Amino acid sequence: MKKALILEIKGNSLDDGPGIRSVVFFKGCPLSCEWCHNPESKRPQVEIAFDQNECVGCDTCLGICPEGALDRGNPFFIQRERCTLCFKCVEVCPSGALSRVGNPMEVEAIVKRVIKDKPFFDTSGGGVTLSGGEPVMAMDFCAELLSAFKAAGVQTLLETCGLFDFRAFETKLYPLLDLIYFDLKLMDPALHARHCGTANAVILENFRKLSACQSPGNTKILARTPLIPDITDTENNLRALAVFLKECRASKAQLLPYHPLWQEKNRKIGRHDPLGDSGPMKTFLDPGRMARCKAILQEEGITVV
Amino acid sequence: MFFQAQPTDLSTKEGRRSVTHLLVKGLLRLLAANFNLRPALNRYLRSDRGWINFSVGIRTENNSIATAVVFQDGRVSVHDQLPPNCDITLIFTHDKSVRKLLSATPTEQIFMLMKSELRTVGNSSHMNLFFFYLSLLLNKKQQKMMRKEKQAQLKKLTAASPRHDLGLSQALQQRKTAPLKGARVDAGDRFLEDPYLSAYSLSDFPRIQDFLNIHFETKAEVCPERPCLITAWHKANGFETDNQGAPWNPALRQAQAFKYLMENRTPLIRKDDLIAGTTTTKEIGVVVYPDSHGTMIWSELLTVPHRNLNPYDVSAETLRLLHHEVFPYYIHRNFKEWVRENYDAPLCQAIDERFAVYFIWKQAALSHTIPDFPKILRLGARGIQAEIKARLETEPLTPDQKAQLAAMDLCLEGLVIYSKNLSRKAAQEAAVEKEPRRKAELETLSRICAQVVAHPARTLAEAVNAVWITWVGLHMENTNAGLSLGRLDQWLQPYFAADMAALHTQEEKAAYLKNAIELTACLIMRCTDHLPLTPDLANWYFGGASSTQAITLGGVTPAGEDAVNDMTYIFLKVTEMLSIRDPNVNARFHPGKNSETYLKRLCEVNLVTAATPSLHNDKAIAAALAEFNYDPADVNNWSATGCVEPTLSGRHIGHTNFQMMNMVAALEMALNNGRHPLMNWKLGPDTGRVETGDFKTFDEFFKAFTTQFRFLIDHSVAYNNMLGKAHQVIRPTPLLSSLIEDCIALGKDLTHGGARYNSSGAACIGLADVTDSLLVIKRLVFDEKRVSFAQLKQAVDRNFENDPALLALVTRKVPLFGSGSDEAVAMADRITKFAHDAYGSHANYRGGKYTVGFWSMSNHVIYGTLSGALPSGKLAGKPFTPGLTPEPNASKNLLDNIRDVARLAPENINNNIAFNVKVVPAAGDDRRRIVDNMFAYVKTFFDLGGMQMQMNVVTSETLKDAMAHPENYRNLLVRISGYNAYFVTLNRDLQLELIARAEYGI
Repeated sequence: MKKALILEIKGNSLDDGPGIRSVVFFKGCPLSCEWCHNPESKRPQVEIAFDQNECVGCDTCLGICPEGALDRGNPFFIQRERCTLCFKCVEVCPSGALSRVGNPMEVEAIVKRVIKDKPFFDTSGGGVTLSGGEPVMAMDFCAELLSAFKAAGVQTLLETCGLFDFRAFETKLYPLLDLIYFDLKLMDPALHARHCGTANAVILENFRKLSACQSPGNTKILARTPLIPDITDTENNLRALAVFLKECRASKAQLLPYHPLWQEKNRKIGRHDPLGDSGPMKTFLDPGRMARCKAILQEEGITVV
Repeated sequence: MFFQAQPTDLSTKEGRRSVTHLLVKGLLRLLAANFNLRPALNRYLRSDRGWINFSVGIRTENNSIATAVVFQDGRVSVHDQLPPNCDITLIFTHDKSVRKLLSATPTEQIFMLMKSELRTVGNSSHMNLFFFYLSLLLNKKQQKMMRKEKQAQLKKLTAASPRHDLGLSQALQQRKTAPLKGARVDAGDRFLEDPYLSAYSLSDFPRIQDFLNIHFETKAEVCPERPCLITAWHKANGFETDNQGAPWNPALRQAQAFKYLMENRTPLIRKDDLIAGTTTTKEIGVVVYPDSHGTMIWSELLTVPHRNLNPYDVSAETLRLLHHEVFPYYIHRNFKEWVRENYDAPLCQAIDERFAVYFIWKQAALSHTIPDFPKILRLGARGIQAEIKARLETEPLTPDQKAQLAAMDLCLEGLVIYSKNLSRKAAQEAAVEKEPRRKAELETLSRICAQVVAHPARTLAEAVNAVWITWVGLHMENTNAGLSLGRLDQWLQPYFAADMAALHTQEEKAAYLKNAIELTACLIMRCTDHLPLTPDLANWYFGGASSTQAITLGGVTPAGEDAVNDMTYIFLKVTEMLSIRDPNVNARFHPGKNSETYLKRLCEVNLVTAATPSLHNDKAIAAALAEFNYDPADVNNWSATGCVEPTLSGRHIGHTNFQMMNMVAALEMALNNGRHPLMNWKLGPDTGRVETGDFKTFDEFFKAFTTQFRFLIDHSVAYNNMLGKAHQVIRPTPLLSSLIEDCIALGKDLTHGGARYNSSGAACIGLADVTDSLLVIKRLVFDEKRVSFAQLKQAVDRNFENDPALLALVTRKVPLFGSGSDEAVAMADRITKFAHDAYGSHANYRGGKYTVGFWSMSNHVIYGTLSGALPSGKLAGKPFTPGLTPEPNASKNLLDNIRDVARLAPENINNNIAFNVKVVPAAGDDRRRIVDNMFAYVKTFFDLGGMQMQMNVVTSETLKDAMAHPENYRNLLVRISGYNAYFVTLNRDLQLELIARAEYGI
């Protein structure tokens, strides 16, 4: 059986599509956005995490690590160059402060976990959301997974960064999806390359092509833009976004307000990004700023949902 | 059996006296001198029938202190030996407890009693009288301490949260705006275009606004009318025997006294009310029932107006009447003392009086039931009297049956006389009323009361007045504790529909609808005119509770069809506008029969009120009651009683809250070979020692737990049956009997089993805590062997101090109840099945079965306080979870909680459950979206078989603000477990428990 690396399956989500949803987070992403709100989903490999807040300081793990990679003097606690990911420390940790990030899972296991929430999907108009990371990196796996969900009568939604092979996507995944939340972060190619690690040409092209598949009034694609202070929430970016959306005959978009929680998550997997230490990156997006961004799109004739 | 003896016997011979002994004796001598020498005090030693003579022993367990104070013929004396038959003995654990008591605040004194630093043996009325005497000397100091205590607490709170957040309190008020509209889809919605009645709000009803202000701003006051009239009648006519010396038939005696009361009580009509009659002579009156728990307030008569939690006034005249005329007459004539005297102070009573294990409600009441309102509405009291007369004329009857039927007749006569008095009173007031509108209202009221309750009701106005007058009568007969109103939407709908059908124009119909809403609101507000009499102690057991008069809405008709009707929606509108704690609104939902429109409206009302109604699944209730083979039409006609408990309307004495049982006590006793740690009492049987490895398998330990549990069940049931007998002697209830099916046909009082259906229902507390603890033991000790039982037990005994790793392991590495674990649900089912079978193996004194439910009122907090740490990781003194709600850290996913609770086997929980969920909308969320989300949770819970769910829709942040700034939150309603209360009237522990509950965003 094929497996995909799954970060987490989160039930009872009310923010990842209509109704009550279960969200399957894939691990691994072709982009590397600086502000990624799930930084632990970026790398396509298993990792180890340490949560200082959960640690009760029992030191059980210190004695068990064969590599001597654990050290209270280390601000990240784990010296990752030494760590061989044997997870012996995770096994003995009573509090769950040490944990494994990412588990290879088969389609059947994922479906089994999600399907128990089906009664809630049915009363609320919800379903399953594939998110990440980037689910489409595991294209064939996703196709199999989505088929299984469709067979079980579960509504499907994909959250994607948009960087994929369109022809494969169109044939393998598109027919199995009820809804697609498509991220459009930065319109300027250079800025996109700088902040997200890749060019945006393919992404924009994919959005254009997908939009062309939609029939008016019955669109299953929704553009979403995370509002990152001074990076994506600039007037230039938003106006360019609106122009692009209109070109694609897309009339709606969703704006996602920035939140600074990614820094803490980053820390748990042994990373620190100075980007998050400064000014507006340390706080939740100001509601006023959110309102201004919304107004810009609306001025351009885009409905913000 | 030796293990049942309390720690020491009553001998006072051994032991050396301590310094504290001398101190205590000195103080008692001072007390004696005061009472002997000061006439102002000495007169309190006398009742209207002579000197009150009794003796009080005071000693420690080891007799380092042993002294007695004797009140005899107006003299107080202090003795070195306890007299052989001391009326009441106070036994302290140590000298230091005695010294502590001397400087303790009233709250600390209560905790000393609850925490077993002090226990009592003997007559409780005498204890309360003795404390009243102490209070006469010390009340100035006591009041000062109460003030100080309150100030200190407030200071601490405001220091922690110096600025109030008006945004939070206003957000709650905002919910009253922007109402949804509903579609007209229900077959029973005959007249409402918008069943949600979104066009109406409180501001349309100035009269009701005034009543609400009275409700929130008037301090309740103890009313002496009922106890004085009842006592006066008994003094004139005898209690045990009549004036000729012949033993009274208790029912006949009660009926005579009741009729006398109804004839002589003041007929009152509240200013501007559309409903005549009041429960007491006070705006909000506290009703005194001296034959049940009335004398519990004796000790607090001087301090109750000053206590911090739920104070009420006691006038000097009331104090005089209660102390001199009422209470002395009832020192022995109450349920508890009758049991003590007739069963020789049984162990089952001694356990109850230690506060940590169980509480038997029958000390106060047995009236958790639903009277047959449709009958009195349909026939009038005269019609029922005719039925009684016909019964008296058929078949040969025994003298008891005749007396019983005569008693019912007398009671109904009393009720009729009271309504006639009200009619006269309304006419008198109308005659002098200047304001034309009010004059007309009073004239109408006079006509209404001339019709009902004597004759059948013909209009909605007559029907609501008949319901209320009957209700007043029932509360004159029975303690106001859990007596419930039932399916008022069903029973009032015919009158509403008939009134409507007689109207022709749209204007007339609109005006009538508004009037119907107002009448309904008046009825609900009438129900708030009385409060139960509660000693300060009760603020910890039933914090902020009123008399929990449950109303039940919706569901299906006896024939099984959709029952939602116009009146259902009118009651929901009124519930939403008033947002008050009592009556306790319960809504039934029948999946497949009731509409989504209706369920969404229930969710919207829950959102607006933050805490009500509680939501029930008809199908699950039917499954739970299946074992009794009740008539399906009667099951379809069930109503909630008190908190949530199913009762078959008008024909079922289910005393559904006979008991609050602390299941954790059984677990603690199993961990300690029968000894209860807090009481330090080897109470239960030997079941094995954890320390010496007596338990080889988990099942052996489970057996130890169930053995201790059964021991407690057996005793509590025995006590309940004894108290039931006491009710038969002290307070039969002929009026209520006349409104319960079969009592007339059988010529039998309901206390003797005259009802068609009989049962007694327990509420077991701590299901999640016990389940989780057993899961921890099973998995870590026996399955995975990660820790030895002795090691776990040691950590529990030490409150997990210095063992954070083990604490983390038990709290985080064992799948708990509510986490979605099959094993956890199986464990919970195993426990509920045991409880169900163990209770179910007993028959009650009325020939019915015992049922078991899992809800907790506020006992999960106090019993938590009185428990040590548990294997589940609950720390010493911390609360259990409310009802059977999963532990907050069982899962971050609410759906896991919902699923696990929903799949509990319903047949084991036939006295219902309380599943408390805290859901909070984000600021600025769309109303429709919030309601849709709430709907999705509830609907799915019901689809999955869940029985009952109650949602608090308020954030912890708001609760914290309310704790520090109560002035902004006088009407913040919260669901405790089963009942509603105003957050600001709760004790601090309870407030913190509500804040700590898991909070799920919607």
